[in-house]
Amino acid sequence: MRPATLLFRVAVTGPSMEPTVRDGDWLLVRQLRRAPRVGELVVAVDPREPERLLVKRVSAVDGDQVSVAGDQQERSTDSRHFGPLPASAVLGRPVLRYAPLQRAGLIR
Amino acid sequence: MQRWDLRSLFAPRLVVHAHCDIPCGIYDPSAAKVAADTVAKMVEKIQGFAKEIPTAQGAAEVTARNNFVRSISVKEEHAQIVKKELLILWSDYFKPEHLEKYPQLHDTFWKAAKLCSKNKQTVDAQAAADLQAAVKEISDIFWATKKQ
Repeated sequence: MRPATLLFRVAVTGPSMEPTVRDGDWLLVRQLRRAPRVGELVVAVDPREPERLLVKRVSAVDGDQVSVAGDQQERSTDSRHFGPLPASAVLGRPVLRYAPLQRAGLIR
Repeated sequence: MQRWDLRSLFAPRLVVHAHCDIPCGIYDPSAAKVAADTVAKMVEKIQGFAKEIPTAQGAAEVTARNNFVRSISVKEEHAQIVKKELLILWSDYFKPEHLEKYPQLHDTFWKAAKLCSKNKQTVDAQAAADLQAAVKEISDIFWATKKQ
């Protein structure tokens, strides 16, 4: 599941990260080669299903343990349910939305 | 046409999920599996205590009888848990498109539910093993649908 390239593309499905990223957005993700930081958006392996990727925001970092949360608390399944992730489960950080074009731009 | 080609050129191959399972429900067949395994274990225990009772004396006999009845009670309870958990998967998780792919789905659930009843009515290692197999079959279908 870990992409081979420094940058990789992903398509978002689901509403839990609105309005930061929306269902159908296409993102460019940069592999993270450092520890995740609180507050940043990350792409991580779902601890419940290793084939599945999540996009969430880092809510806490405790050593090697990273908690993630959705921006839409009522519409998100995240570390509140499945607990923290190992830092190694965090693959990268979305840096750019390239589609849809009218909302294209850098992601903070 | 050209537009479509551009689209497929830039389309990501990976999907990232920003989902909520909560309002939609978190579904998992493992609760049914644990309960079915418990039923099988209780059948074993009931048969064991049934052999112990006739030879036990005094306090040991009372303990054996107590364990015997408790095992029956736990078997009954967990057969019901299997039924309940299967019903949740059947009625809430599985959708018509799953049925198209797994046309035997309704029949599989129906037979599994009947096996729950059979395990309440009997102390039968074969019936317990059949229930475990039925739950496994449903569990396999469940995880297969999750992979799509």
